[in-house]
This record gives sequence, C-alpha cells and structure tokens, in this order.
Amino acid sequence: MDYIKLDDEALMRLIAHAQEQALGALYDRYSRLVYSMALNTTGDSGLAEEITQDVFLRVWNKAETYRPEQGKVVTWMSSITRYRAIDLLRQRGIRPESNRLDWVDGVSPDLPDGVDVELEVEVAQRRQRVRTALAQLPPDQRIALSYAFFQGYSHSQIAEALREPLGTVKTRIRLAMQKLRQILYEDKLPNE
Amino acid sequence: MEEHVFDLLPAYALGCLDGEDDLRVGEHLSACHVCRGELERYRTLVADLPFAVAESDPPAKLKETILQRARQTKRIPAATPKIALWQRLPSWSMVSLVFILVLGASNLLLWGRLNTLESRQRASLRTVLLQGTAVAPDATGMLVISLDGSHGTVVVDRLPVLSESQQYQLWLIRDGQRTSGGVFSVDEKGYKGMYIKSPEPLDSYTAIGITVEPVGGSPGPTGDKVLGGNL
Repeated sequence: MDYIKLDDEALMRLIAHAQEQALGALYDRYSRLVYSMALNTTGDSGLAEEITQDVFLRVWNKAETYRPEQGKVVTWMSSITRYRAIDLLRQRGIRPESNRLDWVDGVSPDLPDGVDVELEVEVAQRRQRVRTALAQLPPDQRIALSYAFFQGYSHSQIAEALREPLGTVKTRIRLAMQKLRQILYEDKLPNE
Repeated sequence: MEEHVFDLLPAYALGCLDGEDDLRVGEHLSACHVCRGELERYRTLVADLPFAVAESDPPAKLKETILQRARQTKRIPAATPKIALWQRLPSWSMVSLVFILVLGASNLLLWGRLNTLESRQRASLRTVLLQGTAVAPDATGMLVISLDGSHGTVVVDRLPVLSESQQYQLWLIRDGQRTSGGVFSVDEKGYKGMYIKSPEPLDSYTAIGITVEPVGGSPGPTGDKVLGGNL
C-alpha cells in the first residue's frame, strides 16, 4: 500500500488498526510541524523530542477516539502539541528565553522526503498564508499573541511580563485574533 | 467595564483568560450555541498558528525511536477480524446450540417483559467511577451522565477540606485540552454534589479530572490532581 498517497483520515483509520507504516507516514508528514512547535515553545531540543514522542504515541494509542467531524488531523495534533508543551513548561517551572517568542515571516525550507507532492504544496500554501497574515499584525499585537500562544500565559501574566495595563493586553489579543481570522478565512465577524 | 463574553472568545480559544473571565465564558458557552460556533472558528485559527513558527527538522533517529516505542506499546486493534461462533464449534454442537438458543429466547422474552420498567430506569443514566490519586487516596467520586450524553452531575466524597484560598476544579479533557466544568468546595466530610457546566456534550470528552486550584479556579490545571476517571 502506498501510504504517502493516503489522506490524513485514512492514515488515522489504519493507525487505529495498529498499522505502524501508517504511523510512519503521518510522522513523515507532520513531525517537522510538531517538533518545531515544541522547540519554539520550550526552547529546548531535548524537551522538544520528548513532546514529539508523546504526541505521536498519543496518536498511536488514541487514534480510534479521533472524530473527523471535530476537526482535521493536523488541527488535533497541533492542539495536543501545544497543550503538552505548555503543560511541560508549567510542570517544570521553565521560562523559555523571550527572544524565541516570535513568529516567522519568511519562506520555509523544503519539506522532507517521503511526503506527497500535492500535500507538500497544500501545506506550503497554508504555511505561507498564516505567515503572511501574522506579518500584517502590528508588532505589539504579535508579541502579546506570542506570549499567549507559546507560553500559555494568561492576560494578567502577559500584562505583567510586558508591563502594560491589563485592558491594553486584552484588546491587543482580541484585535490580533479578529484580524487573523478575517485575513485567513475572510470571515465577517457577526458584530460588524 | 466588564467585557461582553463575545469579545473574550478569542482569548478563550487561546486559553489565556484569567480565572474569573474563564469561568464566565465557560458558563455562557454552555447555554449559547452562537458563541460555541464562534469559538470553534477561533480554535481552528489557533490550530493554524503552528504553521508560522520557525521550522527545524527533528533528529533523524526520532522516527525509529517512536515506531519502536509504538511496537512495545500493547496495542489492541480497534476492530480485529472476528471468526463467527458457528465456525469455531464442532458440527455436533450445532443441534445443542439451536436448542439452547430457543430456550434462552423464550426466557429472555419473559424476563424482558417483567423488567421493562426497571431496564428503562437503568438505561436512563450512565455512571463513571472516579479514582482518588496518591494525593487523596481515600477520596471517591462518581459522575452521572444523562442518556443523551449532553449533561451530568458529579458527586465526590472524602476529599480533603481545603484552605479558604483554595477550591476544587473539575476539568473536562479531550485531545489533551482541558475545559473547566466548574469550581466547588466540599463540606466537612469532604462531600459535594455539583451539576457540571459543560460547553459541549459530556460524552464528547474522553476523561475528567479534579484538581486543587486557587479560589475561583484557574484557566488550566495548576494544582495537584485528586480524582480522575475515563469517560
């Protein structure tokens, strides 16, 4: 079976039936995303490896609980990665270097081997759209968003870290998220 | 001035609301399908954000390490091919089996008629036992879920009485994400019954946990886990 050609949902069904090759194919597809997210959150390659292992083993052990109607596989995996990374930071009392807490605007390097070309293009386009959208945010909104996203800081913790009033931080995060949503999904907000 | 819940949904999706706001939004979501729809859109956005982080390749050996650990994990396939019972039985057993099935069916019909009411009562609720952790080994708990899986109540007993600055918080867990299901204190015997404030149907979650938190609760678990169970 050519696992490279299978879509994510098909791979998940095979993983639920304990097919290791399907897990390997999903790893080829998303390990860079998971590892990069973990590394950017923790700033520690050892922890990033640990988190990547946790995420893929969780996929292996919980594949049968995945429900396509609740979201895409990559959405599910990125949520697991983020919460696992933030949990680890909190449990171990780690505060990553603040200079790591930013987004990338530029073009990404090539995807690894073993990934379907169509998927490669789709992921590359998605990546470019998200990066372009984030580049359009004012710097203060990007920074506030990065504290919430990478470190799991609450509004008040971000306000303390940035030495800004709580209300200012709340507004920055709200405006950043609304603008990203409008740019990425061309959404009209209900109150507009 | 207090913000409208609608304006807090982006931060709720990011998980960055402080305790009081988090509870307020969680409570509102349980009753407002419009805001639940909005929240899903913001959650999709949050899940797209990892595409904008600086990329690095994982170590080359990591894939093999993960596959090796997966092999070592006891894994029960979701649906293993089943061999029909009649294929496994010797031929002489078939006559006996048919006879037993006929007798069994007649008994079942009679039993079923006698127990219809009782069965309906039993089927109306689903219960999940909660286990105490090392922090609260004597604690017990039970989650009672409605038949349609939409709502439920938790009852706990013999939980340690906390200081005035602390409360217990119930977490609904799915995909590694924890959503607050309510904050509570126990009486002097460690007992409490509480209706769960769930933004989504209870049976859409895979587990629940109860942790010790500051009064009013936290945006995410910060204290020791005292009770837990799988749904």
